[in-house]
Amino acid sequence: MKLPPNVSQADFTAALSAFAKIVGEQWLFTSDEDLELYRDSYSILWGEADERTASAAVAPENAEQVIELVKLANRYRVPIYPISTGKNLGYGGAAPALAGSIVLDLKRMNRVVEIDEQHGYVVVEPGVSYFDLYHYIQERGLKLWIDCPSPGWGSVMGNALDGGVGVTLAPYRSHFDAHCGMEVVLPNGRMVRTGMGALPGAKTWQQFKPGFGPRTDGLFKQSNFGVVTKMGFWLMPAPENHTTGLVTVPRLHDLIPLVDIIGRLEQSKLVQGLWTLSSPTTGTGGDAAHSAGGAKVDPSILAILTDPDGVNLDKLDTAALSTGVPFWSCEFNLYGPKKFIAAQWECICDALAAIPGARFKLNEIRTLPLPAKDLAKLFDVGPLGIPSLRTFSLGPMISYEGEDVVGHVFFSPVIPRTGEAAIEAMNVFAEIARKYRLPYPPLQFPSAIFERAFLFAVGLPVTRSPVVNAKVRKAFEELLSMASARGWGEYRTAPAFYELVMETYSFNDHALREFLETLKDAVDPNGIMSPGRYAIRSRHLREPKG
Amino acid sequence: MMTRRTAIGAGLALAAAACTAGFASFETRARRGQTSPIDALLIDETIEMPRQITAFIKACGQRWPLVGIQLDATAHAGLMQVLNKSSAIVGISSGATLFCLERLGWDHGLRLRARTQWCAADLNGAACQQEVAAWLKGAPYSAASPSPLARSYRPSRADGTLHGWCMQKSRPRAARPERREV
Repeated sequence: MKLPPNVSQADFTAALSAFAKIVGEQWLFTSDEDLELYRDSYSILWGEADERTASAAVAPENAEQVIELVKLANRYRVPIYPISTGKNLGYGGAAPALAGSIVLDLKRMNRVVEIDEQHGYVVVEPGVSYFDLYHYIQERGLKLWIDCPSPGWGSVMGNALDGGVGVTLAPYRSHFDAHCGMEVVLPNGRMVRTGMGALPGAKTWQQFKPGFGPRTDGLFKQSNFGVVTKMGFWLMPAPENHTTGLVTVPRLHDLIPLVDIIGRLEQSKLVQGLWTLSSPTTGTGGDAAHSAGGAKVDPSILAILTDPDGVNLDKLDTAALSTGVPFWSCEFNLYGPKKFIAAQWECICDALAAIPGARFKLNEIRTLPLPAKDLAKLFDVGPLGIPSLRTFSLGPMISYEGEDVVGHVFFSPVIPRTGEAAIEAMNVFAEIARKYRLPYPPLQFPSAIFERAFLFAVGLPVTRSPVVNAKVRKAFEELLSMASARGWGEYRTAPAFYELVMETYSFNDHALREFLETLKDAVDPNGIMSPGRYAIRSRHLREPKG
Repeated sequence: MMTRRTAIGAGLALAAAACTAGFASFETRARRGQTSPIDALLIDETIEMPRQITAFIKACGQRWPLVGIQLDATAHAGLMQVLNKSSAIVGISSGATLFCLERLGWDHGLRLRARTQWCAADLNGAACQQEVAAWLKGAPYSAASPSPLARSYRPSRADGTLHGWCMQKSRPRAARPERREV
């Protein structure tokens, strides 16, 4: 069994024994077989000395037990690492950020504490998954929607605390921003409630986010300042109808006005649903991401898309023009009463008609909920507020460098919401992908999932070969370096890259990191809470300054 | 010696017999305390099953409860109940579905005990169907000594082929409780 760093066997054994008294023997996990479940299936360090594996795991039943466990962790100076359901594959899974930590597995705390249809909110514990919450709402016939990521087996709370995003309306897509109030066990074992929750008997904990005084909630996102044991979320009223509308524009550089105009529509709240960008040159019609089937691509375009030296966008532009294939398409998700959808679509058409050659198609407006037989035909039900695991059935994994690809880690930079930045990112990331011969589509598009910036998520292959994984890590480093040199920062990353990414946030000689570490030392002097998470180091993990 | 080719044509009757005999034999052993009985046969509905495998599965359904697996919200609640209440399950699925089921099963104390994958090239052949039958007959017995292959499924280029597997709760194990309300 792996010991936590700087912890004696005697202290470790004593801590585990004390933990078992709190939660019961059956909720303390120390066998190799059990600890295997706390490995990150998608670890880019799998099987290497640096892989972050747990020394043990303990699963409390309620917040009171969490408090006791945190106090014991301080007594024995053992590091604990809270997880909710541990399903954030690609960003760390159930594994701790520091090898040897004891995973504090909160899966047993899976109560829906409160739900309010009138005011549109829910309060959940960490173990409540998107599936759990969806079924809870459906069983009661509540007119509420959840906004879920894909896949939907993760924790509502865990996803939000990790900065996760969904795919419905803008105010709900950023899951942390959609939260309202939390209950936290601090590293000293003291419980606090944020926002209005600090007022005993508060009637508006989930209705008024700011509270009184500083907004402290943000300290618990992507951090290690406490164990969140309850969290409120605003939920979207179930919309009456849904449809998609497709807009195509003919030229490569039409992307610039296209993004600008849609940006204004979003800022004005005329467009709130997620829109997705794609290119019909690749054989997809814009909404084809939701349907299987062979794409028919003109041979002159295919030759450009399969050029071993990379896709030359200018040549593709010329070929698209000569074959009459629009270069860009974007698909809008529209929700609400039919007349509202019609009005939204009219606004979109009016605004985008300024781009010469723009074409528009509104699909059938469907009354919600859709019949089960229709839902079964859809690959992606996330835009309808329904969780699924279908993303795993996209097809067989591929290989990379002769090795089976077993998963992925994301390179996830945030880039400006402009057509110029999108085209630049497409070119520079494709160049690195070619250099490392990464599995990469001919054209990769930015996502409009954030409200005012693009996300350019690149899934990098993970194998079980240390040699190949080392090459992928090198590719990540180069992508990161290329991005940060352009002012594009990562929004989230896998534990193996915490340090690298934090290093890029270096304004004024790493003032932000120093501030976070000052806070860390103050609230967690023993450094027992999720050491290393998001590279926020406690004093004993920091290198001595020269 | 019976080869794969000579076995072609043995047909569904043999498959059904193998299936039934397998279960009967397995249950006998279970009664002797050697292992626990199978509670359900989980079948992946996200992939198109070869015709002969479908018939074989239908025959198995006379013996075991069949549970269709979809990776969606409609099937999820029912699947959770099966995982929660079962001591041992066997299944035939794609690799991708197995990857999900294994992780969902962990929360219910289920561990992968045996696994195999079958002939992508001739999934519609009787030989493959016989292999499926034979494997299902013997799979539960390998629970005592899981092979390294069986410890955990890892996604691979073979995701598109059929996988047979067995998961068991080998001892009373702490599992995630069903969703609770306050």
